[in-house]
Amino acid sequence: MSHGATKEFKVTWGMVIDLDKCTGCGACMTACQVENNIAPMVDASNKLRTLSWVLVFELNNGKSGAEAEVAYLPRPCMQCGNPACVPVCPVVATEKNEEGGIVSQIYPRCIGCRYCMAACPYHARYFNWEDPIFPKGMEKALSPSTSARPRGVVEKCNFCHTRFMQAKEKARQEGGKPNELADGAYMPACAEICPTGAISFGDVKNKEHKVFDLAQGKDAFRLLEKLGLNPQVYYVSKREWVRKLGDNYAATGKPGAAKKHS
Amino acid sequence: MGLDRRGFVKIVVGGVAGTLFTPVIWKSLDDVSIWSQNWPWIPRLNTGEVKAKAALSKLCPAGCAVKVKTVGGLPFAVAGNTANPMSKGGVCPVCAAGAQLMYSPARVKSPLKKVGEGKFEAIKWEDAEALLVEKLGVLKGQAGKIAAISGDETGTAGEVISGLLGGLGNAGYYMMPSEKFVAEKGVKLMGGSGQPGFDIAGADLVLMIGADALDSWGPTVANQKAFAATRPTGAAATAKFVYAGPVLNHTAAVSDKFLPVPPQATAAFALGLANLLIGAGAVSSASDFAEYKALAAKHTVEEVEKATGLKAESMKELAALIRAAKAPLVIAGASFGQGAGALDFVAGASLNVLLGRVGGGMTLLPAAPRAVGGVGASDKDAASFLAEVSTGKAAPGALIVYAANPAYALPQADDMAKALGNIAFKVSFSTYMDETAALCDLILPAPHPFERYDDVLNPYGVAKPTYLVGAPVVKKPVMDCKDPVDVLLGAAGKLGLTLGFETYADVIKAKAKALGADFDALAAGGIWNGEPKGGALNLGASALAKVAPVTLDSKTLALAPMSNQAYGSATLATPPANLLAVRNTELLGKDLFVQMSADTAKKAGVAEGAKVKLSAGKGEMKARVHLNEGVAPGTVAVLMGFGRSAWDEFTKGKGDNVYKILTVSDEAGTGLKVWAGSTVTVAKI
Amino acid sequence: MDQKLQELWGEVMEEKKQCKGCGGALPFLIGFVAAVIAGWVLFPNLLYSKKVQPVRFSHKIHQEQGMECDSCHAFRDDGSYAGLPKNEKCQECHADVVGSDPAEKVYVEQYGQKGKEVPWLIYQKQPDNVFFSHNAHKEIECGKCHLDVGKTDTPPVYYENRLSGYSKQTMKMWQCERCHAEKAVSNACHVCHK
Repeated sequence: MSHGATKEFKVTWGMVIDLDKCTGCGACMTACQVENNIAPMVDASNKLRTLSWVLVFELNNGKSGAEAEVAYLPRPCMQCGNPACVPVCPVVATEKNEEGGIVSQIYPRCIGCRYCMAACPYHARYFNWEDPIFPKGMEKALSPSTSARPRGVVEKCNFCHTRFMQAKEKARQEGGKPNELADGAYMPACAEICPTGAISFGDVKNKEHKVFDLAQGKDAFRLLEKLGLNPQVYYVSKREWVRKLGDNYAATGKPGAAKKHS
Repeated sequence: MGLDRRGFVKIVVGGVAGTLFTPVIWKSLDDVSIWSQNWPWIPRLNTGEVKAKAALSKLCPAGCAVKVKTVGGLPFAVAGNTANPMSKGGVCPVCAAGAQLMYSPARVKSPLKKVGEGKFEAIKWEDAEALLVEKLGVLKGQAGKIAAISGDETGTAGEVISGLLGGLGNAGYYMMPSEKFVAEKGVKLMGGSGQPGFDIAGADLVLMIGADALDSWGPTVANQKAFAATRPTGAAATAKFVYAGPVLNHTAAVSDKFLPVPPQATAAFALGLANLLIGAGAVSSASDFAEYKALAAKHTVEEVEKATGLKAESMKELAALIRAAKAPLVIAGASFGQGAGALDFVAGASLNVLLGRVGGGMTLLPAAPRAVGGVGASDKDAASFLAEVSTGKAAPGALIVYAANPAYALPQADDMAKALGNIAFKVSFSTYMDETAALCDLILPAPHPFERYDDVLNPYGVAKPTYLVGAPVVKKPVMDCKDPVDVLLGAAGKLGLTLGFETYADVIKAKAKALGADFDALAAGGIWNGEPKGGALNLGASALAKVAPVTLDSKTLALAPMSNQAYGSATLATPPANLLAVRNTELLGKDLFVQMSADTAKKAGVAEGAKVKLSAGKGEMKARVHLNEGVAPGTVAVLMGFGRSAWDEFTKGKGDNVYKILTVSDEAGTGLKVWAGSTVTVAKI
Repeated sequence: MDQKLQELWGEVMEEKKQCKGCGGALPFLIGFVAAVIAGWVLFPNLLYSKKVQPVRFSHKIHQEQGMECDSCHAFRDDGSYAGLPKNEKCQECHADVVGSDPAEKVYVEQYGQKGKEVPWLIYQKQPDNVFFSHNAHKEIECGKCHLDVGKTDTPPVYYENRLSGYSKQTMKMWQCERCHAEKAVSNACHVCHK
């Protein structure tokens, strides 16, 4: 696939997740559910029905005893530079057009065809099989950030986009520049809550933001890079086996194919 | 002119044509489509000003200093409090769900009186309080007739409860078993006193033996922050972390090294390490060094391999790492926060003595001044107490349960629940309908942490005296509940006692004053820190001489209960918002998965997905098998927190409760009841 | 068969004869005009129900007291817009009845003193999936989008769409988009939606 299709923006919101710091505690998943008003499910073990905008995967190196290693990999939406989901949407319910490069999903517009879900290689998109019915009274604890979605539409992580809007409002109020937010002015809920600070967030094109350097570090990689979707989510691990799992051998079909992100 | 059929048709056709030139169709279509976007059963968002207020979230065992975000006054989310030096902006996964837990369907909505097996009737507060006073009044002055079990080891509420019991002529205030309880005993065996603390932030090598310090042991968020500070993303790490324990858990996942050690071999592992360190030249000025040295010498690498399956090289590598470190620190504990023996603690802590790290890495906290007069908690824990109740050795007529769930979270849980049945009047102060509340005669709903004043003093593991205070975030609780301490203080007054306070807030103010802390600053999200006390420890050699040799039995498997903070605790079933994080290789439908390595499974004759029965003592539990190569050989790991029989539709009846198959044994030489070394038989069903 | 067909044909011819002179295109026109009138005049009346504000708030009186718009409709420190004031603000002056207007009495007795917020009807209320930043639009005059209530003594009638449940004045997406396009501001979905 060509990289030419990647949309360029002045600001590119990106996430850098340090897998050597992620304990897999799950605070990010909880914070995400709370921020985005995902109703709890009685049987959340049915993973075909759950909605996990950020999902913490468990990886292992396949060895046993003292050789065994485990790593946890939080997977938000990759906000691909060249997203596979956008061109397949028949009703333009999802697009990548806004400054910052976040892939939008507009629920009232979505017709629930789920082409985008089939197209996304990261399984970052979820279909609402049920209406968002909260236990009685719990709707009083809804977050003002995200509208509730009815059944029949697709949803996904949007880097807590409302927080981006709020950060811009604050910048305007304080006489700052809403299009040049300072590092840390805008943080998604997962990055904010992570108790080990494994998730860094910022503008990967802005030298003032710490993710600028982190995304270019020698241990940084992205998932399935060879697909050319150009994700805006980067991972960091000093462990080689983790980095190798990150490309899932997509380049050559063999483990450990040489690669470097562009 | 009459209107005939044809004329009528013309008018209709004209009408239809005319309608096309009006907004009727287009506007209606548009409006209907908008109507279809807002089904009445889809909840609407709340509006208003978004604010963040400092709070103390005691939903997790250690308590998180957080900020509660509100919209129009209604709490909706929990964020970190970056200004608080303990949590530094971090939040644990349970407290992250705190706002939603205010509206948990499992909340006790009003005072309840038992009217039959499993049946309750809502009663008024004044009637409930009168009933409490009546029942306690009858037994006033009769020693041994009133007891209390508490699961809150950090709050000043405990002083009020023990003060009340004292005033009523009783001393039976029992704590639920915990790491702190065992560790304090261990410190005594090492010739010292006080609660031990561990300075993870100041160490350059942290060896965690059993203690799941980065997920469920001690002040987890503070530990995680200390860990994170040594690992700047994209740069070299400044400290090493090693986890030695039965399961490759969350702590082990981010540690530099994982050494699988079966739960019963913890002490042997520590002494084997001591032997290698002494062999490499480590000496200590402790009075019992010679004795200790001789004892450690018995734990050669070969012996350690027999007990743990660890190869000699692994042990030698670890010893070399420790030797190379400038500020090593050893933390020993049970992988699930309780039930380890004092000897396991002593064996681990003795390494700190040997390495000269007591006072620096491992600290001792001074006793804090009390706000309420009284004697404090009993020397026995709740498990020992209920064991006495079941045999008739103890025969209380009334039991007060505060922030504890003994019917669920004590070994041989079913027996413990039966023992509770021997007590005529039981009252539970509980926010949620837990297993113990469901057995009680009176349930007095306690406020959620965001609805009340509460405090945290020295959560186990902190390196220096630490005090936090929380004030209510909301003006009024969302349920008809009252602060348990306020209720108890009121009852004390009616029983003719004077404890000196009217409300819990006053008690906490007095506590802050006694510590020399500023209450207002604390309630605004601040922290008070004191200094650890000095004092040396010996190596605990005489106690360690009783460490029993470990033999790996081929018929039974060692049981390693696994705690995963997100999945709740004894007093909190998995919050609805955290169910998503539970993997389908841990819980599928109603089946809990127990984990073991392929090798262990083969020996036990079971395979991935097999349905099995685990039994030990009188208890048994059902589960399915999931293969996990991160579990120590000969060990079966079982997640805690499942198999709820009360609570709500989100948790009730899902999986099974590992406490049912934990068996208690007496630890040699310490008189403690221990269950960290439980073994089980696994049979296919 | 043939006979039956012939009978039918006969009937049709007869009808045709009878119908001569029954108006030609006139009935069509009558229907057409009636529908147009119904569609443009009656339909809007039927479509909207009328509601009045729970308290007859007079902007005029408040302005005469020297109050500015942003005394009540202000931006918060975080840049968000407070919209309508809450009791806390109203009670700065109206903790008790201070004037003689009966509407004030209604407010004080039925809302303020009972600690109940007034359920104001919001003419421009947008649905949950819209994120509107007043701060980004503060250069534009309020009256461009809002009803000009500043000088009114009685708040305008609130028209609620019986089908969609929205206020008649709620701005539609095409209106937002048109202005954005004219001012060369992005029309990406995420610019307004949440």
